[in-house]
Amino acid sequence: MSHALTDAERERLATLADLMVPGGQGMPSAGDIDLANGPAEEVLHIDPTRLAGVQRFLALEGMVETLADVEALAQKDADGFADLGVVVANAYFMDAAVRQAIGYPGQEARDASIGLTDEDRALLQPVIDRGAIHR
Amino acid sequence: MSGTADPCDAIVVGAGPSGAVAATELVRAGLSVTVIEQGDWVLADAFDGARPQWELTQLRKWHPNPNVRGRPEDYPVDVAASDVNPLMFAGVGGAALIYGAHWMRFMPSDFRVRTLDGVADDWPFAYDDLAPFYAYVEEAMGVSGLDGNTAYPDGAPCPLPALPIGKVGRKAALGMNRLGWHWWPGSNAIPSRAYRNLQPCVLRGTCGTGCSDGAKATPDRTHWPGAIDDGVRLLTNARVAEVTVDSHDRATGVVWIDRDGQRHHQPAGIVILCANGIGTPRTLMMSNDGAGIANRSGMVGRRLMMHPFAAVMGTFDEDLESWVGPAGQILTSMQFYETDLSRGFVRGAKWNCMPAGGPQSFRAGYGDGPLTDAWGANLHERVRRKFGRSFEWGIVGEDLPDTENRIALSASLTDTSGLPAPEIHYTVSDNTRKMLDFHTARAVEAMEAAGAVETAITPLIRDCGWHLMGTAVMGDDPETSVVDENGRCHDVPNLYVMDGSVFPTSSGMNPTATIMAVAARSVLALIENRREVEVAA
Repeated sequence: MSHALTDAERERLATLADLMVPGGQGMPSAGDIDLANGPAEEVLHIDPTRLAGVQRFLALEGMVETLADVEALAQKDADGFADLGVVVANAYFMDAAVRQAIGYPGQEARDASIGLTDEDRALLQPVIDRGAIHR
Repeated sequence: MSGTADPCDAIVVGAGPSGAVAATELVRAGLSVTVIEQGDWVLADAFDGARPQWELTQLRKWHPNPNVRGRPEDYPVDVAASDVNPLMFAGVGGAALIYGAHWMRFMPSDFRVRTLDGVADDWPFAYDDLAPFYAYVEEAMGVSGLDGNTAYPDGAPCPLPALPIGKVGRKAALGMNRLGWHWWPGSNAIPSRAYRNLQPCVLRGTCGTGCSDGAKATPDRTHWPGAIDDGVRLLTNARVAEVTVDSHDRATGVVWIDRDGQRHHQPAGIVILCANGIGTPRTLMMSNDGAGIANRSGMVGRRLMMHPFAAVMGTFDEDLESWVGPAGQILTSMQFYETDLSRGFVRGAKWNCMPAGGPQSFRAGYGDGPLTDAWGANLHERVRRKFGRSFEWGIVGEDLPDTENRIALSASLTDTSGLPAPEIHYTVSDNTRKMLDFHTARAVEAMEAAGAVETAITPLIRDCGWHLMGTAVMGDDPETSVVDENGRCHDVPNLYVMDGSVFPTSSGMNPTATIMAVAARSVLALIENRREVEVAA
């Protein structure tokens, strides 16, 4: 898979992403999962419509040392930041280590044939006991 | 015009739920049927439900708004003058491919709102008249649910057992029971068992972005394979430009445009429009060189109803695995469905309890608030507090008809075939706003009774126009309605409308069940009386 972003763009993305997604609270940072490289590139490969907005935002000039600095840039290009947000968030939450850290197995398959349990039917009994509500 | 095909007995425009019902019955009755669909087949494997990117691709590729999706088979919609965006999907199966499969019969009162509440219009038929047709299409769709719903006089029976309600459903039910309010396990066009051409549901919870498991009842699985086996000719990537009529106002067929821009004429004895509440009036308006047809009443395109939608999210201090399906509706409530004038509005709304999805649902980074709220350390705090611990009561309010809520043809915006795009003029009514305010307040109470530690109201969601109804209204009087009670146009005797466009009122229910039941009623009446249909020479 060829890179959608240049080396310089990925470097800028890494700086921004580490401010948007710092580590802590048992969670990896964007840098810990190397978000600006493989994960972000994968997202842009799946949804290339985000690329132009992301590149435009990454090209904005300005010192970025705090989240407030990112916010100042976002005021200049809200659409570009929206695309960046989609890419950063999806790259982060599609990562297996991140999913494990939040206890998310993904949209896994389960058995639906179990249907309603005895507990469910007991909960429903008061509704049945109150009788019809139709007009 | 690149050519004229051999004539057929009937053309059906649109391969969604209503078109599937119409074509299936017509071909079974021995008619030759051509179906014209602007989209293509979408195989289950195309959907991302089982892949990590499912929340990413729902933002564009599988988004229900055609303006966001922007596929060549989509037509753009001018929404500058609308409070709500209409949602749809072009493909074999129609918008059902990405619907939530919430399967709700209308309530008996929905057919008699003029008589009961003095508003809008009664339908030409009643719930009891339609009940056999509900049962007929429910059997075809493999609907899962629990018989005996106290909100319905007949209990709204379903052919398959209900899906599990899980931790989310039990939590929501607990709150409703504490308040003494009605709830019922959700009824869904999602099979709880393997059923005909449908796989059993696996509760993946991605119904609204397409079922990757082949376990959602969509016409590409429930109807079209059988109809094609029976002889239906289904043309895809074919966009209808107009219905052609002769000098005696009888339909002679349709002109359609292929992906290369070539125009074709398909002659037919009968034309049936099933292109949804936007596409059907658009087609009628584009016909006759843009002068329109079947519009003596002036009602074509008017009375558009789209069901403004609100929601209340509750967050709990325990793990509810609230990404687990169905999504689909886990529970429903009709506690506040009927009119109570003391509330300050007429009619009511249906509630559906829904899971909350994956972790992306709890990241708000799109400019509504300071970035420091959405990103940085707060991102982790928000996900930890809400993810897996939240669910939603969604509120579908009855949208009363208003002739000023309408579609027109755009003078400047066109689709990829050069045809005029629809332009939506739609204002959410004062009655609806009061209704949604009342219901969201009650839903907050339901969440709090269930133990929610935090609630959040979304008062009106702009991307909520799933339910497109009313724009070719049925009625007895040709001066005030477009079609009769069987969908036959008053002005063009061999032209029919069999989608939600014909609905006189919207109810507060998801309409697919009623769209398909009304289509079945209409097409079976057409078949019974087909010898009397006046066709072009």
